Amino acid sequence: MVTRRDFLKLSGAAAGTAALAATGAVASSGSTSKLDPARVGVLTDLTLCIGCRRCEWACAQQNQLPYGPLESCDDQSLLANARRPDAEHYTVINRYPAPTWREQPLDVKVQCMHCEHPACVSACIVGALEKNPMGPVTYDPWKCIGCRYCMVACPFQIPAYEYHNALTPKVMKCTMCPERTLEKQQLPACAEICPREAILFGRRDELLELAHERLSQHPDRYHPEVYGEHEVGGTSWLLIADRPVTECGIPELSDQSPAALTETIQHGIFRGFSGPLMIFGLLSVLMKSSTDRRRREDWDGEDQRDGEDKHG
Amino acid sequence: MLNLKRALVALTCLAAMTAAVAMAGPAQVMDPGHAKPGATKKAGKSAATGPDCSACHSCAAPTHANPCLQSCQRHGAQFKGQHGSSEGPEIVIIDQLANLYGPVVFAHKLHAQMSDMTGGCTNCHHYSPATGAVPPCRQCHEPTRAASDLRQPALKGAYHRQCINCHLDWNHDNACGFCHEQAADRKGADPKASAAHDPTDIVGTRHPLIKAKPTYTYKTTEPTGPMVTFHHEDHVEKFGLRCVDCHRGDTCASCHDTGSGKEKRALDHVTTCGACHAERNCAFCHSGDSKPQFDHRLSTGWSLEPYHARIACSTCHGEPQAFRTPSRQCTSCHIHWAEGSFDHKLTGLKLDDNHSELECANCHLEMNFAAKPQCTDCHDEAMFPAKLPGSRVPRR
Repeated sequence: MVTRRDFLKLSGAAAGTAALAATGAVASSGSTSKLDPARVGVLTDLTLCIGCRRCEWACAQQNQLPYGPLESCDDQSLLANARRPDAEHYTVINRYPAPTWREQPLDVKVQCMHCEHPACVSACIVGALEKNPMGPVTYDPWKCIGCRYCMVACPFQIPAYEYHNALTPKVMKCTMCPERTLEKQQLPACAEICPREAILFGRRDELLELAHERLSQHPDRYHPEVYGEHEVGGTSWLLIADRPVTECGIPELSDQSPAALTETIQHGIFRGFSGPLMIFGLLSVLMKSSTDRRRREDWDGEDQRDGEDKHG
Repeated sequence: MLNLKRALVALTCLAAMTAAVAMAGPAQVMDPGHAKPGATKKAGKSAATGPDCSACHSCAAPTHANPCLQSCQRHGAQFKGQHGSSEGPEIVIIDQLANLYGPVVFAHKLHAQMSDMTGGCTNCHHYSPATGAVPPCRQCHEPTRAASDLRQPALKGAYHRQCINCHLDWNHDNACGFCHEQAADRKGADPKASAAHDPTDIVGTRHPLIKAKPTYTYKTTEPTGPMVTFHHEDHVEKFGLRCVDCHRGDTCASCHDTGSGKEKRALDHVTTCGACHAERNCAFCHSGDSKPQFDHRLSTGWSLEPYHARIACSTCHGEPQAFRTPSRQCTSCHIHWAEGSFDHKLTGLKLDDNHSELECANCHLEMNFAAKPQCTDCHDEAMFPAKLPGSRVPRR
């Protein structure tokens, strides 16, 4: 007799085996393989950022978010407390004080990093969030059902939700302006307004090359690390700064996308329909054996009864 | 392997920079493949055997098809022209990009003088051929930013990287309005209008706050009165003089150390102080001892307390350059203070019906408003403070 506990144990082991078998193959052939080699990205050189917040203004204007007059950006008091992007701000600048009076404070621009292998896209059950092969992580409000799994999944805690909007709430996050960059060959709104070209838009591979060039040319000016080159499997948005950005509000993350493990297990199980086949095959074997045994027991019982009858 | 390659590239760049900055004659052609730490040090010293390719070319064998030119080098490496700070224009109006903001009125000469104290023209003009003329920024830096060129900033980026580098060091101030005027404010305004300020006004232009001492004491050679006390704070705060009213013709070097020591400004006190104090004699400034701050009561016998101390000197005396002495009659300034129309409430006392009928001089004997009227002047019994000729109201 197979108990419920035995069944769960067995099926768990089967799934585990299937997952392990498929780990290597799936991890390398994830959604990253669909990416275009000429995909675009943005490099923020935080040593050039002065915290003028013009990017916040231009972003709000571009994306029909609320914004005040241009001079309202001069209000530096907002920089005193760390903020996070929300439903009305796709990007914010946070200021982190200088370690010594001789240095400058570091202004850190925060927005969607447009991961190469995004956890939000992986978590989205309806495909409303998608990784464009050219770089941006795009969002389609028509597909979105508002489950907000993306908000939980994002390692940078970027997607925000229009909680105030009762009827047609949307997930809100930086778009990397594909309507400007991919369609019109323009720069993203933030990059265009940036007075010091601290925000550079271009091909990701060229930006990476440029970032490393700057790090090696001015080792005195930069912390020798390009954030986003490897973090969470790489991001389209890259950061360089004079100190580790992980000391300035940017999370310290492993080189593997959080989606890699879950996708490995999920895709592994269902690869070539092997998982379901295995489970249902196992089930059928179990059912067959249990019915066989019951039938045999029934026959044995009948034989015994027959004998007893004869003797009786 | 990748690291090795990166290190080699870095070394080559370093070699190129060293050679270019030193300008100590042509260096030997560097082969990136064979560059060694030892070789880079010798590069600048090597004898004049040929032109220094690495100053301009990044590869060992540049061809016409592939010149592999380096982007403009900074730090004066290619500044060949010889210019003094006085040669440049007084003011440059930067208006090629005016869009969100109006044109920037850039005090070129002022900045040139400031640069004299550090790196000279090359602080900003990092590229200038030997032919002499300094090329405009826009010759290399495109006015419109192309996504393709990542290494060379466009005109806007070039300007801002240039300016803000120093401005951040000097005052940590990134307010755009420090240089820019909002485009909307400037509709119909002539950009040259605000440029037409006094060019000799060094301290009158935008300058971080200068902390002057409130009082300066000078020891002069004047035999009768060697001490001159100058109350700087009084002249600025009380008398409302602008910096340029006295510091006309000052240069940056008048205050800042240029390396060869400060350029001591010889104060022509006859023209500077005499502009206002022309009719005074020497003893007005020169005395045997230090002088106290200006006190209106001691100097003129007219105490400004309490009401007149609140107003600026110029309200009664006009601008410092056109000083006038008003009459001591209240009505010479308070023209609406006529008999019967004066609102006594202003003094903090609202007169009751009995007293409001009276004429001013009935209580303020001989129209002496400085002295407080006494009840006993009219009344036999002492009434104050038990009784007042009205009720107290808050003073305006």
